[in-house]
Amino acid sequence: MSMLLTTSVGSLPKPDYLATARSRARKGELDPKELRRLEEQATRDWIARQEELGIDIIVDGEQYRGDMVAYFAEQLEGFQTSSLVRSYGNRYYRKPVIAKKIRRKRPMTIGWWKFAQGLTKRPVKGMLTGPYTIMDWSFNEYYPSRRATALALAEVVREEAKGLERAGAQYIQIDEPAISTRLDEIDLAIEALGIVTKGLRAKTITHICYGNFQALAPKLNRLPVDQIDLEFANRKFELLDAFKRLKLRKEIGLGVVDVHSHRIESREEVVANLKKALKVFKPEQIYVDPDCGLKTRTVDEAVGKLRVVVEATRAVREELLN
Amino acid sequence: MITTVVGNFPKVAEAGFGTKVISSISRWQRKELSDAELEGVFQGITKAVIAEHERAGIDVLTDGQIRWEDLVTPLAKKIEGFEINGLERWFDNNVYYRRPILRKAPVRRGPILVDEYRAAKACTSKPVKAVLPGPYTFVKLTEDRYYKNDSRFLRKIAELLNEEAKALEAAGAPIIQFDEPALGFGKPPIKLILEAIAIATRGVKATTALYLYFGHLNGFLEPLQKAPVDILGVDVASDPQAVGAIRKVKWTKQLALGCLDARNTKLESVTELHALFDVVAKRLPLDRVCVNPSCGLEFLPYEQAVQKLRRLVEAVQTYQGR
Repeated sequence: MSMLLTTSVGSLPKPDYLATARSRARKGELDPKELRRLEEQATRDWIARQEELGIDIIVDGEQYRGDMVAYFAEQLEGFQTSSLVRSYGNRYYRKPVIAKKIRRKRPMTIGWWKFAQGLTKRPVKGMLTGPYTIMDWSFNEYYPSRRATALALAEVVREEAKGLERAGAQYIQIDEPAISTRLDEIDLAIEALGIVTKGLRAKTITHICYGNFQALAPKLNRLPVDQIDLEFANRKFELLDAFKRLKLRKEIGLGVVDVHSHRIESREEVVANLKKALKVFKPEQIYVDPDCGLKTRTVDEAVGKLRVVVEATRAVREELLN
Repeated sequence: MITTVVGNFPKVAEAGFGTKVISSISRWQRKELSDAELEGVFQGITKAVIAEHERAGIDVLTDGQIRWEDLVTPLAKKIEGFEINGLERWFDNNVYYRRPILRKAPVRRGPILVDEYRAAKACTSKPVKAVLPGPYTFVKLTEDRYYKNDSRFLRKIAELLNEEAKALEAAGAPIIQFDEPALGFGKPPIKLILEAIAIATRGVKATTALYLYFGHLNGFLEPLQKAPVDILGVDVASDPQAVGAIRKVKWTKQLALGCLDARNTKLESVTELHALFDVVAKRLPLDRVCVNPSCGLEFLPYEQAVQKLRRLVEAVQTYQGR
C-alpha cells in the first residue's frame, strides 16, 4: 500500500548560472538556444537530486519559468505585458494585461514535462496555474466580467491539462493561490477549476496558499480535484484544528517545511508534526511536501528542506509498518 | 465638478521619471545611501509626480505617497509600541504589506507626516490634501496584542490620528482625508466606527473627507451621512451596487465619485463617464460633487495611471462645456 508519498509543490531554486543567463537573455546578450541548454542542464540536475533524495513524485522544478502567471500569459494569445507595478515593499513585477480573446496557440508546458519524464522512471507531476488565479492576477481589458475571463482561461488551461494527460502525466497540479482572496467568488473559482479537471483520469491536485483558511475550510470538499495541498508549517500546524471539525473527503498535500525561512527544520519536529497530522488524516490520504514552491530559497536550503521531508516521512512510515 | 485623486501614484515610470527608487531603496537598505540621500530621491520623484498631476489638469492633489509602503506602515513605524511583522495580503488585491503588531501602549512622539506634507506643498500652487488611514482601517490592518480590546484600541488609534490631523492642518493642509477601505469587508461595527471618526476629526477646522473603496458598501452610505466629515468618497468601480446606493441616499455630504477603475488598465470612455455623471446629477447638485479614480493609482503601471488622470479631466471638461 502506498502511503505518505513525498513530493514538491512545484518551483525549485534556479542555480546562479541560470539566473545570470536569464537576465542576459532578457537584454538580448544571450542566444535563446544557449539559455535553453542551461535550463535543460538545471532541470537534469534537479531531477537527479530529487531521485537521490528519494522523492516519490518528482517535479521539473520550473527552471524555465519566471512568475507563475506571467509564464502562461507570455505563451497565450491575447495577453500583453505591462510596465512595472509594485507587489509589496520594494518588489515590482510586470502584471499581464488581457487585451484580446485568449487562445492557446501551442502547448505551454508539455514539451518540458516530456523532457523531464524522459530523465526518470518516477512519475513527474504536470504543473499548471489555475484559471481563477490567472484571471485575478491580470488586468482585463477584453472580457465583460471576471466570470467571463475565468471561464475563457479555464478552456485553455483544460486543453493544456488534457495534453499533459495524453503525454502520460499521472499527476496534474493546478495551482490556485488566489482562491483564498475573495470568498464571495468561490463558486466562480470552483466552476472554472471544474472545467479544467472534468473527465481527467490523472490524479488532480490544487495548491492554495495565503489567505483566510478558517473561512475557506468548509468549502474545500467542493473543490473539483482529488487532492488539496496546503501550507501547514508556516502556521505551526494550527490549520489541523480546522480539519478536526471538518471531515476532508479528499487527499491532503501536507506542507511540513516553511519555504519562507532559511532555517532547515529538524527531522524530529517534522516527525512530530506528521504524527499530529496522522491523528486527523489517514496515512493513505496524506502526501508530504514543503509548504509552497521552494524557488525563493538557495539551492542548498531547498535540498536541505527536501531531505528532511523525505527522512522524516520515512521514519514515520517505518513506524506505521512495524 | 472638481477633479482630485485618492492618494498614491506609481513610484516607478519606465517611460517617465524612471525607476531610480528601486535601486535607491536597495542601496539604502545596504547602507550605501544615507537617509538624507534617500529622502532626496523621494522628494525628486514627488516633484515629478506632482508635475504629472498638474500637466493632466487635476485640481486638488496629493503628494502621491512616494515614501509610503502602504497606507498604515508610515504611521505605525513612527508610533512607539508597534512592530512591523510578516507579509499579509492587501485586502482583495494581489499586493502585500507587512502587518504591524501593537505590543506596548502606543505613543506618538511628534508629527509624523508634516515634513513630507510641507515638502509636497512647496512643489505646487494647487491645493494639496493630506491623507491618513481611517481609524477602523488602521485597526483592521494591524494586530492588537496590547489592549486585547477592539473598542479601546480603536478609540486610542482615533485619538492618535486626530493629533496627526491637527498637525497637518497646522502645516496648511486645506483638506484632511481619512481612507476607510476596511469598511468594505466583513461586518464592520458601524456605531463604533462613527464614534471613532468623530474622535479623529474632533477640533479639525480644515475640510474633512472620508473615502470608502474596495469591497461592498454594505448599506453604509445612509449611516455615514451622520459622520462628522464634509466629503464622502464612494468607489463605484468595485461595488456594482454603488451607483444604486448613491441614488437612494439623501445626501447631506459632498460626494467624491470614484468613477475610473484604478485597479484595471481598461480606460473608461468619456461617454460612459458622462452617463454616470448624469445619474449622479439627478441626486445632488454637481457643485457638491468632486470626481476621482476609484482608489490610489499605484495598482496601475505609470502610463495607464497617467491616462486615467487625463481621461478624468477630459470627461469633466467636456461635460461642463456641453
